Amino acid sequence: MTPSETATWGDFVEGLPIFRDAILCGVAAGAVLGPLGVYVVLRRMVFVTAALSQAAGLGVAVSFYCAIHLGLDVPPIVGAIVTSLLVTVALAGKPEWLGLSRESVLGLAYLAGGALAVAVGDRIAQEAHDIASILFGTAVLVRPLDLTLLLGASAVVAVVLIVGHRGFVAASFDPDGARVRRVPVAALDLTLWFLVALEVSVATRALGVLPVFGFSVLPAMGALMSGVRMSRTLVLASILGAASGGLGYVAAFFFSFPVGASQTLAAGLLLVPFAIARLVRRDA
Amino acid sequence: MRDRQLAPIVRCVGLEVGRTRAILPPIDLELGRGQLWALVGRNGSGKTTFFLTLLGQLRPVAGQIHWASPRPRIGYLPQRTSYDDLFPMRARDVVSLALDTAWSFARPRWREPTEVLAALTEVGAADLADRPFRALSEGQKQRVLLAKLVAARAELAFLDEPTAAMDAVAERDTFERIAELTRRHGATVVVVSHHVELARRYADHVLLFDPETPAVLRGRPDEVLESHEYRRSYRPPAPGGPVPEAS
Repeated sequence: MTPSETATWGDFVEGLPIFRDAILCGVAAGAVLGPLGVYVVLRRMVFVTAALSQAAGLGVAVSFYCAIHLGLDVPPIVGAIVTSLLVTVALAGKPEWLGLSRESVLGLAYLAGGALAVAVGDRIAQEAHDIASILFGTAVLVRPLDLTLLLGASAVVAVVLIVGHRGFVAASFDPDGARVRRVPVAALDLTLWFLVALEVSVATRALGVLPVFGFSVLPAMGALMSGVRMSRTLVLASILGAASGGLGYVAAFFFSFPVGASQTLAAGLLLVPFAIARLVRRDA
Repeated sequence: MRDRQLAPIVRCVGLEVGRTRAILPPIDLELGRGQLWALVGRNGSGKTTFFLTLLGQLRPVAGQIHWASPRPRIGYLPQRTSYDDLFPMRARDVVSLALDTAWSFARPRWREPTEVLAALTEVGAADLADRPFRALSEGQKQRVLLAKLVAARAELAFLDEPTAAMDAVAERDTFERIAELTRRHGATVVVVSHHVELARRYADHVLLFDPETPAVLRGRPDEVLESHEYRRSYRPPAPGGPVPEAS
């Protein structure tokens, strides 16, 4: 369905059964990518999610290619997860052994993922629209399977984040001190990146690259601007992410925006009051 | 006086430290309970490598480390620059990190343990408990970090340049609190310091790393700080010449 420029609230309510799954997807992805993004932003690895979502997009494109040209039925979500995990493994390695920084590995993953996705997409013209939806976040509707997978992955990520909260904070804020206290910092780091890869790959398949990147950066920024406590910052990032997913979809309906762009813009707009409040507090 | 106390908490025998090859001569060393050691050496002399080896983060190139039994609780305060001011942490949150060891973080904790405020109170930082860590002065931050060691009930603590970026008053205050920590809790503290006069005043022992000779000296502050090796490392400035950087 294409949202109409003259859409009314009544139209929206009437169409809600059709949009419901897509809205739920946006809310769930935002609610989980928000707190994950807090760790990503604090570790100054914002482009991890960009690289992972590009890699997930490549995985989906490769899945279509395999099905069309090789007769191999690889579910796109499996392709997305596999390529995302490969990037995670590369990130967990030691790029300094190659004389490179982790940032440059991120750049490589982002560029290779994006270029290959477009190149592979060019060979599967019949699925070009699907590929474009994934890369640019123009998907209006989501399939029930994508919703189920996204809700399942989000639930797993949320539980691990809650159970491991103190460990993730210690491994992020004071890794040296944590290692001395025998806290398993390496395992926690790997788990964190695995969670990011899982959520990003599943959410990218359902929503597209742009909103997934937006959810994993912008809500975290807003929450960090207001927070003096880590636990509250994580909760606030989750609320902002969920709100971005839901409100962004509603805005897309009423203003005829592409959904992914609208959700990303919503996340950006929700950031503004926090930035203003922070500046006012700073001047006070 | 503290030397009267007990068996060593850790003993290094022919310990050679380095990432791939030994960067210092073999180190033979006993750290007694309740002692305050100052570790002195110029930049790149191997101080942090020595710390990391004792902390189990690096393998010794050679030699052995013998720990007291049961193995003591160890605390480590890395250089202050290791703590990122972006993190939204209150002082009490920073202290509470010390209470988790190994996988204990996975056990739910519904209330803040009483040790957190008790530790902050002990170092005179109770009034800072709810303030953002990033908003504190360097001296206040260091007090909070010392509270972290108190909360962890560290028996052996390694402090890497705890007075970096502090003014003279805050430096003295920090050394007094470190000395108090050793007196009150019987903790053994090894502190890397740029400030030789404070080390001379507060430390029981000094450990000097001189990678040029190369040499490792240990002993009473006056013995080490009057040694030929120390004077060679920190040679006095020629009249009108540049002052060499200490440590």
